Amino acid sequence: MLHGFLDLCLLAMLREKPDYGYGLAQRLATAGVADVPGGTLYPALLRLEQQGLASPSWGPSESGPRRKYYAITDLGRTELAAQVTGWQRFRDGVDTLVAAGARR
Amino acid sequence: MTAWGVRFEDELRRLGVQPGRARQLADETAQQAAECDAAPDSLFGPAHLYARHLLSELTTRTLPLNGPSGPVRLRLTGVGKRYRRRTVFDGVDLTVRGGEVAAIVGANGCGKSTLLRICAGLTRPSSGRVQRTRRVGFVPQDAGTAGWLTADEHFTLFGAAAGMAPRRARSTGEHLAARLAWRPGRKQLTQHLSGGTRQKLNLVLGELHSPDLLLLDEPYQGFDQGTYLDFWHQVRAWREAGRAVVVVTHLLHDLQHVDQVFDLGALR
Repeated sequence: MLHGFLDLCLLAMLREKPDYGYGLAQRLATAGVADVPGGTLYPALLRLEQQGLASPSWGPSESGPRRKYYAITDLGRTELAAQVTGWQRFRDGVDTLVAAGARR
Repeated sequence: MTAWGVRFEDELRRLGVQPGRARQLADETAQQAAECDAAPDSLFGPAHLYARHLLSELTTRTLPLNGPSGPVRLRLTGVGKRYRRRTVFDGVDLTVRGGEVAAIVGANGCGKSTLLRICAGLTRPSSGRVQRTRRVGFVPQDAGTAGWLTADEHFTLFGAAAGMAPRRARSTGEHLAARLAWRPGRKQLTQHLSGGTRQKLNLVLGELHSPDLLLLDEPYQGFDQGTYLDFWHQVRAWREAGRAVVVVTHLLHDLQHVDQVFDLGALR
Protein backbone atom coordinates (compact mmCIF):
# COMPACT_ATOMS: atom_id res chain seq x y z
CA MET A 1 0.00 0.00 0.00
CA LEU A 2 2.86 2.33 0.84
CA HIS A 3 4.33 1.73 -2.59
CA GLY A 4 4.32 5.01 -4.49
CA PHE A 5 3.96 7.10 -1.33
CA LEU A 6 7.22 6.23 0.38
CA ASP A 7 9.09 9.07 -1.33
CA LEU A 8 6.34 11.45 -0.25
CA CYS A 9 6.57 10.31 3.40
CA LEU A 10 10.37 10.54 3.42
CA LEU A 11 10.44 14.02 1.90
CA ALA A 12 7.76 15.22 4.33
CA MET A 13 9.73 13.93 7.32
CA LEU A 14 12.95 15.49 6.01
CA ARG A 15 11.20 18.83 5.60
CA GLU A 16 10.37 18.66 9.29
CA LYS A 17 13.98 17.92 10.21
CA PRO A 18 17.07 16.22 8.79
CA ASP A 19 17.31 12.60 9.86
CA TYR A 20 19.15 9.33 9.22
CA GLY A 21 17.79 6.06 7.88
CA TYR A 22 16.99 4.24 11.07
CA GLY A 23 15.46 7.37 12.60
CA LEU A 24 13.17 7.75 9.57
CA ALA A 25 12.12 4.10 9.83
CA GLN A 26 11.18 4.65 13.47
CA ARG A 27 9.22 7.79 12.68
CA LEU A 28 7.28 5.92 9.99
CA ALA A 29 6.50 3.12 12.43
CA THR A 30 5.55 5.51 15.25
CA ALA A 31 3.21 7.40 12.92
CA GLY A 32 1.51 4.07 12.24
CA VAL A 33 2.23 4.32 8.51
CA ALA A 34 4.31 1.18 8.02
CA ASP A 35 7.20 -0.95 9.16
CA VAL A 36 9.47 -0.34 6.20
CA PRO A 37 12.18 -2.99 5.77
CA GLY A 38 15.76 -1.80 5.30
CA GLY A 39 15.86 -3.28 1.81
CA THR A 40 13.10 -0.85 0.81
CA LEU A 41 14.06 2.19 2.85
CA TYR A 42 17.75 2.56 2.05
CA PRO A 43 17.47 2.21 -1.74
CA ALA A 44 14.75 4.89 -1.63
CA LEU A 45 17.03 7.22 0.33
CA LEU A 46 19.91 6.66 -2.08
CA ARG A 47 17.56 7.40 -4.93
CA LEU A 48 16.42 10.68 -3.34
CA GLU A 49 20.07 11.59 -2.95
CA GLN A 50 20.87 10.66 -6.56
CA GLN A 51 17.93 12.71 -7.84
CA GLY A 52 19.07 15.72 -5.84
CA LEU A 53 15.93 15.75 -3.69
CA ALA A 54 17.84 15.16 -0.46
CA SER A 55 21.42 16.03 0.42
CA PRO A 56 23.52 13.86 2.72
CA SER A 57 25.94 14.77 5.45
CA TRP A 58 27.82 12.57 7.88
CA GLY A 59 27.15 13.09 11.55
CA PRO A 60 28.41 11.46 14.71
CA SER A 61 26.23 9.39 17.00
CA GLU A 62 26.41 9.18 20.77
CA SER A 63 27.18 5.52 20.53
CA GLY A 64 28.33 3.37 17.68
CA PRO A 65 29.10 4.20 14.05
CA ARG A 66 28.70 7.57 12.34
CA ARG A 67 25.41 8.26 10.64
CA LYS A 68 24.41 9.60 7.27
CA TYR A 69 21.90 12.39 7.77
CA TYR A 70 19.67 13.56 4.95
CA ALA A 71 18.28 17.08 4.54
CA ILE A 72 15.66 18.15 2.02
CA THR A 73 16.86 20.33 -0.88
CA ASP A 74 14.99 23.08 -2.72
CA LEU A 75 14.37 20.62 -5.53
CA GLY A 76 13.07 18.21 -2.89
CA ARG A 77 10.59 20.80 -1.61
CA THR A 78 9.26 21.36 -5.13
CA GLU A 79 8.92 17.61 -5.67
CA LEU A 80 7.22 17.23 -2.28
CA ALA A 81 4.65 19.93 -3.13
CA ALA A 82 3.81 18.11 -6.36
CA GLN A 83 3.52 14.75 -4.60
CA VAL A 84 1.33 16.21 -1.86
CA THR A 85 -1.13 17.38 -4.51
CA GLY A 86 -1.19 13.89 -5.98
CA TRP A 87 -1.66 12.33 -2.56
CA GLN A 88 -4.56 14.65 -1.68
CA ARG A 89 -6.31 13.80 -4.91
CA PHE A 90 -5.84 10.10 -4.20
CA ARG A 91 -7.00 10.42 -0.57
CA ASP A 92 -10.09 12.45 -1.57
CA GLY A 93 -10.95 9.85 -4.20
CA VAL A 94 -10.72 6.99 -1.70
CA ASP A 95 -12.72 8.99 0.87
CA THR A 96 -15.46 9.56 -1.70
CA LEU A 97 -15.65 5.86 -2.52
CA VAL A 98 -15.71 4.83 1.13
CA ALA A 99 -18.29 7.45 2.11
CA ALA A 100 -20.59 6.56 -0.79
CA GLY A 101 -21.02 3.00 0.50
CA ALA A 102 -21.34 3.97 4.16
CA ARG A 103 -24.47 6.07 3.65
CA ARG A 104 -26.70 3.11 2.80
CA MET B 1 34.36 -5.65 5.43
CA THR B 2 32.07 -8.61 6.06
CA ALA B 3 31.84 -11.56 3.67
CA TRP B 4 28.38 -10.29 2.78
CA GLY B 5 29.84 -6.88 1.93
CA VAL B 6 32.49 -8.44 -0.31
CA ARG B 7 29.88 -10.46 -2.19
CA PHE B 8 27.69 -7.36 -2.51
CA GLU B 9 30.51 -5.26 -3.90
CA ASP B 10 31.63 -8.03 -6.29
CA GLU B 11 28.13 -8.35 -7.68
CA LEU B 12 27.79 -4.59 -8.16
CA ARG B 13 31.03 -4.57 -10.14
CA ARG B 14 29.94 -7.57 -12.14
CA LEU B 15 26.76 -5.67 -13.01
CA GLY B 16 28.89 -2.90 -14.46
CA VAL B 17 29.08 -0.43 -11.54
CA GLN B 18 32.35 1.52 -11.47
CA PRO B 19 34.71 0.11 -8.80
CA GLY B 20 34.78 3.36 -6.80
CA ARG B 21 31.00 3.62 -6.74
CA ALA B 22 30.65 -0.08 -5.85
CA ARG B 23 32.99 0.38 -2.89
CA GLN B 24 31.06 3.45 -1.78
CA LEU B 25 27.72 1.63 -1.96
CA ALA B 26 29.18 -1.34 -0.07
CA ASP B 27 30.51 0.96 2.67
CA GLU B 28 27.19 2.73 2.97
CA THR B 29 25.30 -0.53 3.13
CA ALA B 30 27.59 -1.73 5.93
CA GLN B 31 26.99 1.53 7.77
CA GLN B 32 23.21 1.22 7.31
CA ALA B 33 23.26 -2.27 8.80
CA ALA B 34 25.34 -0.95 11.68
CA GLU B 35 22.93 1.87 12.50
CA CYS B 36 20.08 -0.65 12.56
CA ASP B 37 22.23 -2.95 14.66
CA ALA B 38 21.46 -5.79 12.26
CA ALA B 39 23.49 -8.26 10.20
CA PRO B 40 23.42 -7.25 6.50
CA ASP B 41 21.85 -10.51 5.36
CA SER B 42 19.01 -10.27 7.84
CA LEU B 43 18.35 -6.65 6.85
CA PHE B 44 18.84 -6.90 3.08
CA GLY B 45 18.68 -10.61 2.16
CA PRO B 46 21.27 -12.38 -0.04
CA ALA B 47 24.07 -10.02 -1.14
CA HIS B 48 23.87 -10.54 -4.90
CA LEU B 49 20.09 -10.22 -5.00
CA TYR B 50 20.20 -7.02 -2.98
CA ALA B 51 22.84 -5.67 -5.36
CA ARG B 52 20.45 -6.22 -8.27
CA HIS B 53 17.52 -4.80 -6.33
CA LEU B 54 19.44 -1.68 -5.37
CA LEU B 55 20.64 -1.06 -8.91
CA SER B 56 17.18 -1.45 -10.37
CA GLU B 57 15.81 0.90 -7.68
CA LEU B 58 18.45 3.47 -8.53
CA THR B 59 17.90 3.27 -12.28
CA THR B 60 14.12 2.75 -12.34
CA ARG B 61 12.73 6.04 -11.19
CA THR B 62 15.33 8.14 -12.90
CA LEU B 63 14.07 6.99 -16.30
CA PRO B 64 11.48 9.47 -17.51
CA LEU B 65 8.02 7.94 -17.72
CA ASN B 66 7.39 9.29 -21.20
CA GLY B 67 9.83 7.04 -22.96
CA PRO B 68 13.14 5.28 -22.83
CA SER B 69 16.30 7.30 -22.74
CA GLY B 70 18.75 4.59 -21.78
CA PRO B 71 21.95 3.86 -23.66
CA VAL B 72 21.72 2.12 -27.02
CA ARG B 73 22.10 -1.63 -26.40
CA LEU B 74 21.51 -2.85 -29.94
CA ARG B 75 21.77 -1.16 -33.31
CA LEU B 76 21.22 -2.79 -36.68
CA THR B 77 22.11 -0.76 -39.75
CA GLY B 78 21.06 -2.01 -43.18
CA VAL B 79 21.21 -5.63 -42.11
CA GLY B 80 20.30 -8.25 -44.68
CA LYS B 81 20.38 -12.04 -45.02
CA ARG B 82 20.61 -14.11 -48.17
CA TYR B 83 20.75 -17.87 -48.56
CA ARG B 84 22.40 -18.45 -51.90
CA ARG B 85 20.29 -16.37 -54.26
CA ARG B 86 17.24 -16.10 -52.02
CA THR B 87 16.98 -12.86 -50.07
CA VAL B 88 15.30 -13.49 -46.70
CA PHE B 89 15.32 -9.82 -45.71
CA ASP B 90 17.29 -6.74 -46.51
CA GLY B 91 17.87 -3.23 -45.19
CA VAL B 92 16.85 -3.80 -41.57
CA ASP B 93 17.44 -0.74 -39.36
CA LEU B 94 16.62 -1.17 -35.68
CA THR B 95 17.77 0.62 -32.54
CA VAL B 96 16.89 -0.63 -29.06
CA ARG B 97 17.82 1.29 -25.92
CA GLY B 98 17.92 0.36 -22.27
CA GLY B 99 14.45 0.51 -20.74
CA GLU B 100 12.83 -0.34 -24.05
CA VAL B 101 10.98 -3.41 -25.32
CA ALA B 102 10.96 -4.06 -29.06
CA ALA B 103 8.87 -6.71 -30.78
CA ILE B 104 9.83 -8.35 -34.07
CA VAL B 105 6.72 -9.53 -35.87
CA GLY B 106 5.90 -10.96 -39.29
CA ALA B 107 4.49 -14.03 -41.00
CA ASN B 108 6.05 -17.47 -40.61
CA GLY B 109 9.13 -17.86 -42.75
CA CYS B 110 9.95 -14.17 -43.05
CA GLY B 111 13.12 -14.67 -41.01
CA LYS B 112 12.20 -13.47 -37.51
CA SER B 113 14.30 -16.10 -35.76
CA THR B 114 17.19 -15.55 -38.18
CA LEU B 115 17.10 -11.84 -37.45
CA LEU B 116 17.14 -12.50 -33.72
CA ARG B 117 20.13 -14.84 -34.11
CA ILE B 118 21.91 -12.07 -36.01
CA CYS B 119 21.13 -9.72 -33.10
CA ALA B 120 22.68 -12.30 -30.77
CA GLY B 121 25.77 -12.74 -32.96
CA LEU B 122 25.00 -16.41 -33.60
CA THR B 123 24.36 -15.93 -37.33
CA ARG B 124 26.36 -13.71 -39.64
CA PRO B 125 24.41 -11.16 -41.67
CA SER B 126 25.07 -11.09 -45.42
CA SER B 127 25.14 -7.31 -45.35
CA GLY B 128 24.92 -4.40 -42.93
CA ARG B 129 26.29 -3.74 -39.49
CA VAL B 130 25.38 -5.00 -36.01
CA GLN B 131 26.43 -3.22 -32.83
CA ARG B 132 25.47 -4.64 -29.47
CA THR B 133 26.28 -4.40 -25.80
CA ARG B 134 28.67 -6.93 -24.34
CA ARG B 135 26.32 -8.71 -21.94
CA VAL B 136 23.58 -10.38 -23.93
CA GLY B 137 21.05 -13.01 -22.89
CA PHE B 138 19.55 -15.19 -25.63
CA VAL B 139 16.49 -17.38 -25.16
CA PRO B 140 15.82 -19.66 -28.15
CA GLN B 141 12.37 -20.86 -29.14
CA ASP B 142 13.06 -24.34 -27.84
CA ALA B 143 16.07 -26.56 -27.25
CA GLY B 144 19.05 -24.88 -25.60
CA THR B 145 18.71 -27.22 -22.64
CA ALA B 146 20.19 -30.68 -22.10
CA GLY B 147 17.71 -33.46 -21.27
CA TRP B 148 20.06 -35.41 -19.04
CA LEU B 149 20.84 -32.50 -16.70
CA THR B 150 18.73 -31.15 -13.83
CA ALA B 151 17.71 -27.50 -13.55
CA ASP B 152 20.35 -26.90 -10.86
CA GLU B 153 23.04 -28.39 -13.07
CA HIS B 154 21.99 -26.03 -15.85
CA PHE B 155 22.26 -23.08 -13.47
CA THR B 156 25.75 -24.16 -12.44
CA LEU B 157 26.90 -24.76 -16.01
CA PHE B 158 25.50 -21.55 -17.52
CA GLY B 159 26.62 -19.61 -14.45
CA ALA B 160 30.17 -20.91 -14.85
CA ALA B 161 30.19 -19.68 -18.44
CA ALA B 162 29.41 -16.19 -17.09
CA GLY B 163 31.98 -16.44 -14.32
CA MET B 164 29.53 -17.06 -11.47
CA ALA B 165 30.33 -19.30 -8.50
CA PRO B 166 28.19 -22.48 -8.46
CA ARG B 167 26.30 -21.66 -5.28
CA ARG B 168 25.42 -18.21 -6.43
CA ALA B 169 24.37 -19.43 -9.86
CA ARG B 170 22.04 -21.96 -8.23
CA SER B 171 20.47 -19.53 -5.76
CA THR B 172 20.01 -16.94 -8.51
CA GLY B 173 18.46 -19.53 -10.82
CA GLU B 174 16.05 -20.68 -8.13
CA HIS B 175 15.11 -17.10 -7.31
CA LEU B 176 14.41 -16.30 -10.98
CA ALA B 177 12.46 -19.54 -11.41
CA ALA B 178 10.25 -18.61 -8.47
CA ARG B 179 9.26 -15.41 -10.27
CA LEU B 180 7.81 -17.60 -13.01
CA ALA B 181 5.99 -19.64 -10.35
CA TRP B 182 8.31 -22.60 -10.79
CA ARG B 183 10.20 -24.50 -8.11
CA PRO B 184 12.76 -26.76 -9.79
CA GLY B 185 12.93 -30.32 -8.42
CA ARG B 186 16.35 -31.27 -7.06
CA LYS B 187 16.71 -34.49 -9.00
CA GLN B 188 14.32 -34.00 -11.87
CA LEU B 189 15.98 -34.36 -15.25
CA THR B 190 15.11 -31.74 -17.83
CA GLN B 191 13.84 -34.38 -20.25
CA HIS B 192 11.06 -35.15 -17.77
CA LEU B 193 9.89 -31.53 -17.58
CA SER B 194 6.83 -30.37 -19.52
CA GLY B 195 7.44 -28.19 -22.58
CA GLY B 196 6.26 -25.10 -20.72
CA THR B 197 8.55 -25.75 -17.77
CA ARG B 198 11.51 -26.35 -20.10
CA GLN B 199 10.80 -22.93 -21.56
CA LYS B 200 10.88 -21.44 -18.07
CA LEU B 201 14.30 -23.01 -17.62
CA ASN B 202 15.38 -21.47 -20.93
CA LEU B 203 14.17 -18.08 -19.79
CA VAL B 204 15.96 -18.32 -16.44
CA LEU B 205 19.20 -19.34 -18.20
CA GLY B 206 18.94 -16.35 -20.52
CA GLU B 207 18.68 -14.00 -17.55
CA LEU B 208 21.02 -15.76 -15.12
CA HIS B 209 23.99 -13.44 -15.69
CA SER B 210 21.87 -10.27 -15.56
CA PRO B 211 22.39 -9.20 -19.19
CA ASP B 212 21.82 -5.64 -20.46
CA LEU B 213 20.13 -6.94 -23.60
CA LEU B 214 17.65 -9.82 -23.62
CA LEU B 215 16.77 -11.52 -26.90
CA LEU B 216 13.71 -13.75 -26.68
CA ASP B 217 12.37 -15.98 -29.47
CA GLU B 218 8.68 -16.67 -28.69
CA PRO B 219 9.76 -17.91 -25.30
CA TYR B 220 6.29 -18.73 -24.00
CA GLN B 221 5.46 -21.83 -26.07
CA GLY B 222 3.60 -24.21 -23.81
CA PHE B 223 3.01 -21.65 -21.08
CA ASP B 224 -0.43 -21.69 -19.50
CA GLN B 225 -2.36 -18.45 -19.13
CA GLY B 226 -1.00 -17.68 -15.64
CA THR B 227 2.61 -18.22 -16.63
CA TYR B 228 2.09 -16.21 -19.80
CA LEU B 229 1.01 -13.25 -17.65
CA ASP B 230 3.97 -13.84 -15.28
CA PHE B 231 6.19 -13.71 -18.35
CA TRP B 232 4.93 -10.31 -19.48
CA HIS B 233 5.10 -9.06 -15.93
CA GLN B 234 8.75 -10.11 -15.97
CA VAL B 235 9.32 -8.28 -19.26
CA ARG B 236 7.92 -5.11 -17.68
CA ALA B 237 10.21 -5.57 -14.68
CA TRP B 238 13.25 -5.88 -17.00
CA ARG B 239 12.16 -2.75 -18.81
CA GLU B 240 11.78 -0.83 -15.59
CA ALA B 241 15.20 -2.02 -14.49
CA GLY B 242 16.63 -0.38 -17.62
CA ARG B 243 17.27 -3.53 -19.63
CA ALA B 244 16.75 -3.63 -23.36
CA VAL B 245 14.44 -6.42 -24.53
CA VAL B 246 13.80 -7.77 -28.03
CA VAL B 247 11.06 -10.36 -28.35
CA VAL B 248 10.02 -12.25 -31.45
CA THR B 249 6.30 -12.86 -31.43
CA HIS B 250 3.40 -13.68 -33.67
CA LEU B 251 0.71 -12.90 -31.10
CA LEU B 252 -0.67 -9.48 -31.88
CA HIS B 253 -2.16 -8.92 -28.44
CA ASP B 254 1.38 -9.06 -27.03
CA LEU B 255 2.05 -5.76 -28.71
CA GLN B 256 0.27 -3.70 -26.07
CA HIS B 257 3.25 -4.43 -23.83
CA VAL B 258 5.98 -3.14 -26.14
CA ASP B 259 7.51 0.22 -27.03
CA GLN B 260 8.24 -0.42 -30.68
CA VAL B 261 7.17 -2.96 -33.24
CA PHE B 262 9.36 -4.02 -36.10
CA ASP B 263 7.32 -5.68 -38.85
CA LEU B 264 9.74 -7.82 -40.81
CA GLY B 265 7.01 -8.85 -43.27
CA ALA B 266 6.37 -5.22 -44.23
CA LEU B 267 9.89 -4.79 -45.61
CA ARG B 268 9.07 -6.57 -48.83
